[in-house]
Amino acid sequence: MTAPRSGARRTLAELSVPSESGNERRAMEEVAAAVGRLGLPGPTLERLKTAVAEATMNAMEHGNHYHAELPVIIEVSAPDAELSVKITDEGSGPAAFDSETPDLEAKLEGVQTPRGWGLFLIKSMVDEMNVTGDEHHHTVELILHLDEREGGR
Amino acid sequence: MAVRHLEVEVHREPGGAVLDLRGEINGFAQEALDAAYAEAEKANPETILLNFEGVDYINSTGIALIVSLLARARATKRRLVAYGLSDHYVEIFNITRLADFVSVFPDEESALEPAT
Repeated sequence: MTAPRSGARRTLAELSVPSESGNERRAMEEVAAAVGRLGLPGPTLERLKTAVAEATMNAMEHGNHYHAELPVIIEVSAPDAELSVKITDEGSGPAAFDSETPDLEAKLEGVQTPRGWGLFLIKSMVDEMNVTGDEHHHTVELILHLDEREGGR
Repeated sequence: MAVRHLEVEVHREPGGAVLDLRGEINGFAQEALDAAYAEAEKANPETILLNFEGVDYINSTGIALIVSLLARARATKRRLVAYGLSDHYVEIFNITRLADFVSVFPDEESALEPAT
């Protein structure tokens, strides 16, 4: 993890993770450490960790095709009353997520593959998810609205 | 951070076969999970219990593996039970609707109660 930069977005951390299977855990633990000073409620922190892990795994798998030399870049910042985690890979075109909404009964009946939970989990764990991309990068931004969490959600 | 590969031990209780899971349930866990489930099936138990007390991480691929186990259990008319999940993973079992098909209990004692 590199030292945070100062700025209007209040960058908390910038980190780089090699695209190797299992490194999503490293990413989620480093993000958790970076947001420690924000004092997020425990359940909120656990949800954020799951969202970061899933987005990082998606970036390593579909964006960087598990080429270890291609890093996933993660920027953690806290603009205003939000927490933003941007996860960027080196893929091109639209970010690849399984677009099919998971339906457990369909999966149990063999109509859907058992997989395909990543995007569903991410969207369930954070307040907003934005996906952007160009010819050289995909970025998934995860957003938590901090002011809505004062009650301890 | 090194991946904690899943280790599974199978033991039998009067209420069913228990898979004691330790480590991470992710893409690396498939072989260990499938082998342990096959071992548990040998005694033809009505109920197979998944003990998550030693599990500290489940990702979306791990959820898919649990879905596959549930499909196997339903195909053979077995009941699948889970216990020892953290509050966070109980939430994930709820939002994925796994909890609609897998009975979730806090510990082994309560998990075995309905089946005895």
